[in-house]
Amino acid sequence: MNFLFRLLIIFIIPLSVFSQVAEVTIENLNARMDRIRDYSADALIKSDIPLIKILPVRATIYFKQKNKFRIKSKGIAILPKQGFLDLSELLSGKENYTALFSGFDVIGNYRSEIITILPAGDTTDLILAKLWIDPTGYLVRKSQITTRTNGTITIDYTYNNQNKFGLPDSMIFTVDVKKFKIPKGVATDINKISSEEEKKPTSKTGKIFIQLTNYQINKGLSDEVFQK
Amino acid sequence: MLLKSTYNEFIKIAAKPRSYLGLAAITILVGVILFALKVDGLSFISFVTASFEQTLSFEGNILNGNLVAFIVLQMLIIHIPLLVALVTGDLVSGEAAMGTIRMLASKPISRTQLLLSKFIAGGTYTLLIIIWLGIMSVLFGKLLFGSGDLMVLNSDGLVILPQSDINWRYLCGFAVAFLALLTVSSLSICLSCFTENSIGPIVTTMAIIILFTIIGTLDVRIFDKIRPFLFTTHMASWRSFFEEPVPMKDIYRSIFILIGHNILLLAISLNKFNNKDITS
Amino acid sequence: MSEKIIEVQNITKQFGTFEAVKNVSFTVYKGDVFGFLGPNGAGKSTTLRCILSLIKPNNGKVFIFGKTLAESRREVLSKIGCIIEKPDFYKYLSAEKNLEIFSRISGTYSDKNSIYKMLDFVGLNGREKDKVAGYSHGMKQRLGIAQALLHNPDLIILDEPTTGLDPQGIIDIRNLILQLKSEHNKTILLSSHQLSEIEIIANRMVIINKGKSIIEGNVDQLLNSEDLIVNLEIDNVELSAQIIAQSFKNVQVLSVNSNQLQLAINKSEVPELTKKLVDSQVRIFAIESKRKLEDYFIKIVNN
Repeated sequence: MNFLFRLLIIFIIPLSVFSQVAEVTIENLNARMDRIRDYSADALIKSDIPLIKILPVRATIYFKQKNKFRIKSKGIAILPKQGFLDLSELLSGKENYTALFSGFDVIGNYRSEIITILPAGDTTDLILAKLWIDPTGYLVRKSQITTRTNGTITIDYTYNNQNKFGLPDSMIFTVDVKKFKIPKGVATDINKISSEEEKKPTSKTGKIFIQLTNYQINKGLSDEVFQK
Repeated sequence: MLLKSTYNEFIKIAAKPRSYLGLAAITILVGVILFALKVDGLSFISFVTASFEQTLSFEGNILNGNLVAFIVLQMLIIHIPLLVALVTGDLVSGEAAMGTIRMLASKPISRTQLLLSKFIAGGTYTLLIIIWLGIMSVLFGKLLFGSGDLMVLNSDGLVILPQSDINWRYLCGFAVAFLALLTVSSLSICLSCFTENSIGPIVTTMAIIILFTIIGTLDVRIFDKIRPFLFTTHMASWRSFFEEPVPMKDIYRSIFILIGHNILLLAISLNKFNNKDITS
Repeated sequence: MSEKIIEVQNITKQFGTFEAVKNVSFTVYKGDVFGFLGPNGAGKSTTLRCILSLIKPNNGKVFIFGKTLAESRREVLSKIGCIIEKPDFYKYLSAEKNLEIFSRISGTYSDKNSIYKMLDFVGLNGREKDKVAGYSHGMKQRLGIAQALLHNPDLIILDEPTTGLDPQGIIDIRNLILQLKSEHNKTILLSSHQLSEIEIIANRMVIINKGKSIIEGNVDQLLNSEDLIVNLEIDNVELSAQIIAQSFKNVQVLSVNSNQLQLAINKSEVPELTKKLVDSQVRIFAIESKRKLEDYFIKIVNN
């Protein structure tokens, strides 16, 4: 009995401690995020995705609490389907997740806490999220989201001008492209025999680089901006 | 005299009801495609982008006039040869069937000029067909769907071309498509020199196109050596202008081969027509 | 001798193994209405096509205005107006548009007035805007002549221009041809399979049969020859043949029937022959004479 009690202490106390550390970090992160009511920023989107050739595209990103997000571009812009709102939505209510401290890691030159987020319940598409948070300014240096449908998306963040709001200057999305394929028979390029076969990507991941400049924070954004 | 004879050919083409068949067919076909895309274009696109859209989202107006024009061209360009041959295949043999070739050949004009005027008129008609296809697809496409970046599905993946970088591609694409259709025109006129009925050259032209296309698409090693020299292999070269980077070397080769075909067909036609006994 | 307009020298044309024209030669002089006579299938159209270089002869030469078409095609053809076989037009175009096309290609089109004048000349005024598809054969024939005359040619080649026409149409076309010769001094080469037509219109002629030219000359001389074919219907054929053999060395017995003799005889010997036969108690029931050429031609045609 004594042994069992000790064993329980050994496992539960650290878990509880890890959970507390993670929650404090997340609370700090949320508190800083709450300071942003809305923002807009100019984005330069570059992509390096197998099977997709696209030149850099200029766009404008709009965000408004609590979960309004929109990208406007004159031309066609390719963005990851997940990664912008998923985390903020998940982290907006404590009941939605369980956060666990999973150790330290160095991202760039920044020692970061690794926080693992487990969504409550099993109905969400998101299975697991990991955040690498720089505890000095509570900046997310890296995040990793694993979903049921789209595999894993990793995002690397760099900060410069908007540190105090925790808004990045650049983001690099690394997406899973294993499932990409060119539909058979659609590309009717008779010059190329291979077009009749399904083309698969040569690399398993693709990258999308977003540079963000000209932030306009808390200037008041109308809801109409988010209407498509 | 060549210009006068060419002008005569224009009058004849303009007066034939069948000349308007091609223009009407293009108008109806493009109209149907534009209507279908307007009603259910997004599902057509999602069929293409489905595998990408699980992971990525495409922002911006994808179903725009540029894409619509591209879809229209891709769908129709393989059918246009029939519309061209319908008129050009009749230019010499139709006159033989009517007996008017006898009247023309006894006038003070050389047979070379007479045939050249038919080639020029056939080429001009082909140009007209291409221009009309361009107007219908690009202009009406943009009017109905607006403009925007062009997302093209090539055999090696999706290419997204910025709006500002598209017009020249369409112009060059149409120019190469014209050259390909000009080859069809030359082929049908050439065949037209060998017969004295209207239907023969039209049917034979289409049969040759179908045969060459089958040879071109069959992945059989025995055809590997001849495939690059078949004009049908280069009929879709207009599409290369929508690749990134543009494979100029391939396009130049296609242009060279298509021009070569035209010169060869013209030479065969001139030789046949100049030495032909007009017995009709 | 006046200027040679067409000189056909030994032209031969073979289609595969079939020899359509064999060494045909004749000459058309300035101002001639030259009859090119022969039964259907004799090679008339083929010869005319060879003259106009529509088909290339295997052998022989054709000089028109002293030149070959190979060396001066434009110059020579600009002086020729023709209808070969039958006039064919763009049925989907009006008569006026058709003439405009042929006039432009002849290098003479200036305005529509000349076209209207020509349509008026051939009696098609009021129908200029009608599509040729609605024209009768006679109207097409007139339109054909209009296109042949439109550029005011010196030489007109007409291939069986009255074929398929009604009697009035035939008379109209004949009058038109005579008018062209007399009023406009055109040289006309006219093919026909009817001797009567040539007799009425032509001043010179050549007869062609099975691709060969048989005889060429002045129509009056050929048709009014003193050499006749005479059929005698008599009661004593044997006695008559004996008398002819003994007394008329120049008369040739062509055929002998039970009561008929066919003779080739000079017109001047006919009275003496009949007198001799009557004196010899031969009873003559009928004498029928034909000009030798006509008979000859009929034999060709019947063959």
